[in-house]
Amino acid sequence: MTLLHPAAASAAAEDDAAIPLLSVDRLKAYYRLKLFGIDREVRAVDDVTFAIGRNEIYGLAGESSSGKSTLIKTIAGAIRPPLAVETGSVCFNFSDGTRDIYRLTPRELGEIRWKRLSYIMQGSMSVLNPVRRIRHSFTDFALPHVPEKGAAFAERIGRHLERLHLERSVLDAYPHELSGGMRQRVAIALATVCGPEFIIADEPTTALDVIVQKGVLAMLRGIQRELGSSVLFVTHDMAVHANLTDRLGIMYAGRLVEEGRTRDLFRQPLHPYTRHLISSLPQIGDDTPKKGLEGSPPNLAAPLSGCRFHPRCPLAIDICRREAPPMVAVAPGRRVACHVVTASPDAVAPAMEEVRP
Amino acid sequence: MKPNLLDVDNVSKTFAGRGLFSRRMKRAVRNVSFSLDADRPEVFTIIGESGSGKSTLASMILNTARPTGGSIRFEGRDLAHIRSRRDRVAFMSRVQAIFQNPFDAFNPLKPVDRYLYTAAEVFSGCRTKEARETRVDDALHKVGLSLAEVSGRFPHEMSGGQLQRIAIARALVSSPSLIVADEPVSMIDASLRMTVINLFRMLRDDLGVSIIYITHDLATAYYISDRLIIMQTGEVVEAGDARQVLAAPRHPYSIRLREAVLSVDGAWRGTGLDAEAIQPSLR
Repeated sequence: MTLLHPAAASAAAEDDAAIPLLSVDRLKAYYRLKLFGIDREVRAVDDVTFAIGRNEIYGLAGESSSGKSTLIKTIAGAIRPPLAVETGSVCFNFSDGTRDIYRLTPRELGEIRWKRLSYIMQGSMSVLNPVRRIRHSFTDFALPHVPEKGAAFAERIGRHLERLHLERSVLDAYPHELSGGMRQRVAIALATVCGPEFIIADEPTTALDVIVQKGVLAMLRGIQRELGSSVLFVTHDMAVHANLTDRLGIMYAGRLVEEGRTRDLFRQPLHPYTRHLISSLPQIGDDTPKKGLEGSPPNLAAPLSGCRFHPRCPLAIDICRREAPPMVAVAPGRRVACHVVTASPDAVAPAMEEVRP
Repeated sequence: MKPNLLDVDNVSKTFAGRGLFSRRMKRAVRNVSFSLDADRPEVFTIIGESGSGKSTLASMILNTARPTGGSIRFEGRDLAHIRSRRDRVAFMSRVQAIFQNPFDAFNPLKPVDRYLYTAAEVFSGCRTKEARETRVDDALHKVGLSLAEVSGRFPHEMSGGQLQRIAIARALVSSPSLIVADEPVSMIDASLRMTVINLFRMLRDDLGVSIIYITHDLATAYYISDRLIIMQTGEVVEAGDARQVLAAPRHPYSIRLREAVLSVDGAWRGTGLDAEAIQPSLR
């Protein structure tokens, strides 16, 4: 190996920083079902491309059946029939090398899971074993991935809990003895104890009360900033996205329809669906009437031609019914998939004002 | 004088503590009182976190649980005196319930219209098929659906929002004067949530139905309620006009609740998570 010139080395380091931690490229994941001899395919993730950089919280918003859970599964490499990845790739650029998640052996996958890539789920009880004390859950998950053993390992866990303002005594509790918020905090502690580079959080606070939710989110953000990890945060709650995420992607019917910095997206939503999501959000102190969206959510088993939002879209024109809009960059760091918006971004705002109640 | 639609008078509910020798009693609801006026339909909201006793209170209003202290009167009549089947059916036709998850409320193996027909038969005494169909179609029209759209379809063929509207139509079949809705939109997609919420407003304004809306979501509570009570561990800590209470809560618990609500504006003003992160009140 040749020694690099210092300048070249720092350039290489910059290159390294520019490579996103996660790149998802043209990913298509379908459920293939065979019912009574009839083949059906459900296009849960259809041509999704995006990237998540280091040390950022990327939010993913979308309603049920928009494909966000399937997207998480494919990113984590948890693919079991009937789910199958058709095309596309998911690449992680971890500090010890780049990994294409679909080229790994189950053993290699097991090595990166929890150590470099970890999860926080909606129901903490699906992570914590109900008949074992919390201490054992930590041992089960974390022990194989950290260098410390025995007393040193216990010390590491204790220090980690303190860092998260949890008492060490929770280690001796059974999951059912803790409140829902406490269990979710323990689940976050468990997911972050190995210092993972990438954390997937799937609706971690949806089941919690408002007061508890805020505390748990603050804790998640605190530990993320401290570890410098990247987080993919999935929820349908737009208010949570506004408060927590750095960048935001909006999914509709298996496709990413808009992406941008969270603040920009809320200040100036471009896609009609995003506009609806934001304008229909009830807020305390806001007395304007809000409207629900007409029509029903799309059926992924029988996808529509053209843009999948067109039957519910107030701006739909002829081309929307025929051609699926591609994801187009309209500004630095801002992408949107809508024929009308990309044709004339300025014409959209007044048209939307008329539609709005 | 006409009696009130509903009088909840100093109501308490105590559950015996768990365990064979435990003498601990759990007081789920403590001395709650409020009344709904018969002539002024309104959306009355009960706000509380899990364990605050709001659902226990709802089941006492629906007469599926008996209070251990105090009394509940519906149209002047004490619920404790409703015993015979005839009285129960008469009561249920006036007071209806809507639940959190519409997919749990409907049997997945039965077409959804079956429930509507049963309601028409039991609560409205529609004996003939034609009478039932007219009644059901009427109710479905009130929620923006029609019998032709719904007939013979199963729950899995519907979206959550549609199914919840059918649940509301089912509640409307018997022309009730009070609907108790326990977290009716928390399981519904964001794009359809406001459709259901606006429906409650329509029920109040156009059909004169009073609604007891039980939720932990302060934003939708602000949007539709006229009056509200905030409950903490079984007690009412604050009550009053919805807008006034939510705009300027007074009780320490209400203030905490109000501050915990994440808002979009708050995120830009920096009153969101960052404020919390500075003072780690994480315990």
